[in-house]
Amino acid sequence: MKDDISLSCRDIERYLGREEERVHALRGVSLDVEAGSLHAVVGPSGCGKSTLLYILGLLDEPDAGSVDIASTAISHLSDEELARRRNELIGFIFQFHFLMEDFTAQENVMIPMRRLGRLSEEEMNERAAGLLEAVDLGDKLRRQSRHLSGGEQQRVAIARALANDPQVILADEPTGNLDTNNSQRAFELLANIVREREKALLLVTHNRFIADACDWVHEMKDGRIIVSHPHGQRISVS
Amino acid sequence: MTAAPLYIALRFATHRKRPLLLSLIGVVFGVGIFICTQAQTQGFAQFFIDSTIGSNGALTLRSRFQPRYEGMVVSAKTTGGVSARRNFFEGISNVSEIMRVSRQFSNVVACSPVLRGTISARAGFENTTADLFGIDPASHLRTTDLAKQIVVGKFDDFRNNTSSVIVGNRLADLLQVDPGDPVQLLSPGGEYWRFTVAAIARSGVSTIDSSRVYAHARVAQRLLKKPYQASMIIYKLRDPDRAPALAVRFEDLFRHTAQSWQEREEGNLQIFSTLRMSVAITVSLIILLAGFGIFNVLTMSVLSKVREIAILRSMGYRKIDITAIFLWQGALIATIGSLLGCVLGALLTLGVSHIPIHIRGLLYANYFLVVWDWRHYLWATLLAIISVFIASYVPARRAAELAPIDTLRGSSL
Repeated sequence: MKDDISLSCRDIERYLGREEERVHALRGVSLDVEAGSLHAVVGPSGCGKSTLLYILGLLDEPDAGSVDIASTAISHLSDEELARRRNELIGFIFQFHFLMEDFTAQENVMIPMRRLGRLSEEEMNERAAGLLEAVDLGDKLRRQSRHLSGGEQQRVAIARALANDPQVILADEPTGNLDTNNSQRAFELLANIVREREKALLLVTHNRFIADACDWVHEMKDGRIIVSHPHGQRISVS
Repeated sequence: MTAAPLYIALRFATHRKRPLLLSLIGVVFGVGIFICTQAQTQGFAQFFIDSTIGSNGALTLRSRFQPRYEGMVVSAKTTGGVSARRNFFEGISNVSEIMRVSRQFSNVVACSPVLRGTISARAGFENTTADLFGIDPASHLRTTDLAKQIVVGKFDDFRNNTSSVIVGNRLADLLQVDPGDPVQLLSPGGEYWRFTVAAIARSGVSTIDSSRVYAHARVAQRLLKKPYQASMIIYKLRDPDRAPALAVRFEDLFRHTAQSWQEREEGNLQIFSTLRMSVAITVSLIILLAGFGIFNVLTMSVLSKVREIAILRSMGYRKIDITAIFLWQGALIATIGSLLGCVLGALLTLGVSHIPIHIRGLLYANYFLVVWDWRHYLWATLLAIISVFIASYVPARRAAELAPIDTLRGSSL
């Protein structure tokens, strides 16, 4: 692995639920994601993929272990600090794209920029338009997101994840709700942007072809990463 | 705090137009009705206060007194919280000197001596008891609103004729006299003195208009057979609200009983105050009900925006930003509702002031009496803002405490 690590975690433990229903969701998970690389996390449902993603995305806190983003330890930070880092350093893409339905494509992309507050309204408009151009939606800037197709909505979500030029992009089954063609297109778009702009991408997927196209694949089972292997060296673990 | 929460609040609010409109209507009507009812209740009270001050002055200086060590004992009077027995002596001594010193006080605009007595008035076959005010026309004009209160006849006719009187309009109705008509006043000696009615005055206060007769002071002194020039001095003050303090000061200084208009009209003022309070409480309930409506609307808004809240949190919006989004929606309702409510209140007040009524009791009025006071608008707005803030705060906090991960997990697994 390269030295310029964008995202890493060490010995992450996480329990979910209460008392009798308590589940040991993550058991000592460690991971490094370097800039410009694509990492896929695969595994059966309930193995802890999304839990890991939310912890790395600072939306959930581990019961034990540490998370570093951009070489900074993220532990015991206030809600305000965590929110600021999410806004500046992380871009999220969800399976159901999670756009604001009443907002236009451009307005959706501008939401993280508004929170950051570093650009003027005009600059935000320009940047959002540029990002939507990059995902081939330059002609649908002013269209309400509810009037876009599923594939288009996911591309808006990709543009939105890049809005504040984050170092890390976390994607939770970004193509899980798309047909094969749109899945392929969305992933290629995402992969190109990540490589061109030197981002670190960690995606959770059930799609074997997408996982195989990533630089690293981490297979999870019962809350553990049981094997991590680089592109083309897939090891089948039952 | 960035402008982002305000922008998102505006978008959320415009998305749910109907509930927003209903909340807005609640606030608009609450504020409008509050303003209108306060304008009415205070209108009647203010009319009464202006009329009584305009007729009897803001402050009245009466009998001379001494601490009790000789003579007749009269009931105790409380001055400055200290009870003391006093002996009272009818009439004002040193009228000119007291008036000269009184005028040195910055709050005193003018003062006028009055010789007051009860007489019997007769005109034609009508006969009734009247309250005679012996006045100096020039100084009385500066101290009271008597000139403005003339409804028939001329004040100058009274000023230029010492054998003339001004009669209260209800008394004039009773005696069936008009300007130019003769009227006879019975002296304590039992002889009738003949006067001409110069003018008829209406103060608007029933007790004054049904009994008052104004005559020249020197004529009144002879008619009443009083050894002193004045039985009281009435004062016009720059700030009538400070009359009680000045009354205490005058008692100490002049050794005459002094009574502020607040003390003099305490009973009537309490009625107005109670009525106003009662109406304010009733109307405040309307605003509180509007607050409950807003609480429901925003709670529903939070429930319908759970997904959007999770998205915003995942994109780096803080809890305080989420709270701010819903508080801004409340602020939007409060601001627009208060502004429109103030306009509605002004229009309602204007409309009500043109409604004809026939009041001939405590007050004389042909239309609803209203008062235009900016403080009504301020209080209504403050009440609306506080009510809406409380109604918005709980849903706003609830929105901020929603764990985004629960929503995201529920939709993605």
